[in-house]
Amino acid sequence: MAPQNLSTFCLLLLYLIGAVMAGRDFYKILGVPRSASIKDIKKAYRKLALQLHPDRNPDDPQAQEKFQDLGAAYEVLSDSEKRKQYDTYGEEGLKDGHQSSHGDIFSHFFGDFGFMFGGTPRQQDRNIPRGSDIIVDLEVTLEEVYAGNFVEVVRNKPVARQAPGKRKCNCRQEMRTTQLGPGRFQMTQEVVCDECPNVKLVNEERTLEVEIEPGVRDGMEYPFIGEGEPHVDGEPGDLRFRIKVVKHRIFERRGDDLYTNVTVSLVEALVGFEMDITHLDGHKGLCSDLLTKGLCSELLNTFIGAEYLSERTQMPNAYCARRLWSPYSSCQNKELRERQSPLTPTRACNRHQGHTEEQPIVEGLPLGKRERKISVIFLGSHTTNSMNHGVPAARLISSNDKDSSSDGGSDNVP
Amino acid sequence: MRGASRGGVAGTLLALLLALSVRSGGASKASAGLVTCGSVLKLLNTHHKVRLHSHDIKYGSGSGQQSVTGVEASDDANSYWRIRGGSEGGCPRGLPVRCGQAEVSAFGEDGEGDDLDLWTVRCSGQHWEREASVRFQHVGTSVFLSVTGEQYGNPIRGQHEVHGMSSANAHNTWKAMEGIFIKPGADLSMGHDEL
Repeated sequence: MAPQNLSTFCLLLLYLIGAVMAGRDFYKILGVPRSASIKDIKKAYRKLALQLHPDRNPDDPQAQEKFQDLGAAYEVLSDSEKRKQYDTYGEEGLKDGHQSSHGDIFSHFFGDFGFMFGGTPRQQDRNIPRGSDIIVDLEVTLEEVYAGNFVEVVRNKPVARQAPGKRKCNCRQEMRTTQLGPGRFQMTQEVVCDECPNVKLVNEERTLEVEIEPGVRDGMEYPFIGEGEPHVDGEPGDLRFRIKVVKHRIFERRGDDLYTNVTVSLVEALVGFEMDITHLDGHKGLCSDLLTKGLCSELLNTFIGAEYLSERTQMPNAYCARRLWSPYSSCQNKELRERQSPLTPTRACNRHQGHTEEQPIVEGLPLGKRERKISVIFLGSHTTNSMNHGVPAARLISSNDKDSSSDGGSDNVP
Repeated sequence: MRGASRGGVAGTLLALLLALSVRSGGASKASAGLVTCGSVLKLLNTHHKVRLHSHDIKYGSGSGQQSVTGVEASDDANSYWRIRGGSEGGCPRGLPVRCGQAEVSAFGEDGEGDDLDLWTVRCSGQHWEREASVRFQHVGTSVFLSVTGEQYGNPIRGQHEVHGMSSANAHNTWKAMEGIFIKPGADLSMGHDEL
């Protein structure tokens, strides 16, 4: 009986050792596929680090371990050499142990947290002096706003370090009374200082990862705590990156919609046209004029990245719309009216009623001009409720509307 | 430069050799230590050991512009300067600054200056390296940004005078110190020009 117990015990022990030695699944810890790009890995770490930080989960006994696993996963997968080794040999195949402290990796993304966060506001103790904040304008392109990105930044800053000896600190003016003689006093002002441990300012460097989140708005700030200017008697200030979206040559963002202008000839405007439009992420989409086809022949991705999209709506949709400019009043021209697709609302007709038949209704364009500018609007997905699935409603912009769309065309869906 | 002024073929040849080697070395060097567009940094005058600094002050009854001085402290937030291109926009984020490229310091209203605020980076090699000593030459007047050695009295006691000098010398060499340096962007998506 004893040898049987022993063998079972040995087997169990071996199994346990094997399980531990097999190593952690770093991809699973980060929640990314094996084919994930470095950008995806950084994004995943940043999102999870905020959730799993031990200070955020004081009731979870495994929080520290989970957080360390996360740090280890990022350290390996973000380094191309280590990732290659890990992919081939697993965790135990890694040459040197990952010794870098996981608080260090956290500070790459969020700054120098020297204190507990998650609920306690920074400026709670106003008596602690604070160094200056630094605000840096960060230029980003519309493509980066669409797909997201990470910007690597080297922060070289002076840091207060211990030095031998003492120094004067908390200097202040005090009134001192001295007696010159019987009944005669003199009051003088004196500078009185305390004694503090000596500090010197040493320049240190670290890399920071600034995330450009998909859909980020102009002016949004990303703070890195403690990365501002130091204060010898207190805490360092913060470093804040302020997003500045650079004007794009083709697309303009309004809300969550993308606008662009398309130039077509007069014939095309009346008869219909098809054209390829290259989206921000490089893929091409086809857009057809409503007069002939009535709807877009291909669904284009909406503006915000896929992740953001899934939170907002069930079905991504895009619409091609055009301004209803016609050289003839479509109400008076019977032929043209019959040719129009049922998706064209009659509202546009009413607006142009005042014009006679001979007068072309052209906004600011001279007669005989061959070209028209048409606004193609890729709409966001905020009209899902009013619409039958599979049949997108057309949203027509009257030429008198300065911005945004007329209210719904859902009643015109056949 | 010293070799050339002393004369002698050997001296000139040596100087030329050094200049050539620096230039070719610069091309293949790792780009980690370069100053890029969009970076924010402090500039230290290597001779006088003061940092370029700016604050609001009125010169007596003067125009009320920002005063530019040199300060000895290394932790003053008013000593940060931003690297921007000229008005033609040829300085996208993360692009290493080339020697001879014009860059704008943070003068003017809310950071928007005019053509009189353009300074050209004068340095040896291809790009402005963080460890290198460089000069700043004003595009309009061709003077070099210099520190005179004079100090101010009240109310900015201890701050050093900064002015423009017509000749290049030890008073107008500067080095990038503390700052926020954007790493050279390898995959900066430039987008497309047409639909």
